[in-house]
Amino acid sequence: MSDHVHHNPADGPEVYFQYEDIDQQQESYVVGMWSFLATEVMFFGALFLIYTLYRWKFHDTFFLAHEQLNWKMGGVNTAVLLLSSVFVAFAVHFAQMGKWKIVNMFLAGTLLCAGGFLVIKTWEYGAKLDHKLFPNHSFTYADPNHHETDSFWETSLPKKLQPDKHHQEGNPENARLFFSIYFTMTGLHGLHVVIGIIAISSLMILIKIKSSLITDYVPVELVGLYWHFVDLVWIFLYPLFYLIPK
Amino acid sequence: MADHGHDHAEMTAGGAHASHVLSQKMILMIAGGLFVLMGATIGAAFFLPVPALKENTMFMQVLALGIAVIKASLVVYYYMGVKFGTRLIKIFAYGGFVWFFTLFIMMADYTTRPMETVPGWEKQASSALPRNTAEQPE
Repeated sequence: MSDHVHHNPADGPEVYFQYEDIDQQQESYVVGMWSFLATEVMFFGALFLIYTLYRWKFHDTFFLAHEQLNWKMGGVNTAVLLLSSVFVAFAVHFAQMGKWKIVNMFLAGTLLCAGGFLVIKTWEYGAKLDHKLFPNHSFTYADPNHHETDSFWETSLPKKLQPDKHHQEGNPENARLFFSIYFTMTGLHGLHVVIGIIAISSLMILIKIKSSLITDYVPVELVGLYWHFVDLVWIFLYPLFYLIPK
Repeated sequence: MADHGHDHAEMTAGGAHASHVLSQKMILMIAGGLFVLMGATIGAAFFLPVPALKENTMFMQVLALGIAVIKASLVVYYYMGVKFGTRLIKIFAYGGFVWFFTLFIMMADYTTRPMETVPGWEKQASSALPRNTAEQPE
């Protein structure tokens, strides 16, 4: 048990009275984060179950509707998120070494990737809105004129990233279901990216001002765990929405 | 950092610590694996040279999800440090994922019984969506 009243920061992180030693204290932080992530698994798990059920029931239309998504942009986004995860892994590594300037550089890289992810997502969502595929009152599917509406969000892309043109086919009601699930799951994932951006930038500020809250690598580790989870969800979303086999 | 002067064996079986340092070489190797597997996911979906397999929906789906599971395991084991975590961390980390698979037992209900129609709701056997009776009167 820690019996000193005045803690000298140079001695490393303070061991609070309820812990045996620093290892136990740090373990409990990590366990706390994992129990939060378990609730996140439950949250996304229910959505994955919904996806599985309707994909199983309406496979044919889900296949036809998924051709309206741009798998190239989704692929770029997968690469961007994987890269951000690598940056976070390096940030944790250097936090354990105590090299805080390098930590902030890698966290800045992660922020750039997160921002890039959201920009790419905006281009994807924009194209879906222009093609009236957002499942609200304006939703129109299997409209023969849909190819005549050129979307800025597609024509502004480099040629190699522009989507392959596919006719909108299949049952419109089931296609609406596909797009409802698509927007719900990718939207909630996007929200998690935004929360991650807030968490990472707050952490960077705390590190920059040498806040007394940052006594060791654990805050970076915890934010890192959250960010890896965001990556984890996308690892499954990408093949399930963009690469549905016929 | 941590004071390793005394024995943690009781709490951290196998000498595991909450604070394992993943080497830069390992981080880069895992990164390489993740990007190769990402390429494999896209390659399998579009450029698989065996037509017989490509037409097999179940095979293609299992392949895509199998690759995703390997990618996810790399992230969870190494980047999230579960491989080097204490037993307590492992219990909490695996607990969420065990629950995730348990949830899918619910599919047993949907696969063994027909979707029952409710008066006023969609009657087509192919859809579970509510019927809009204002626009499509009976």
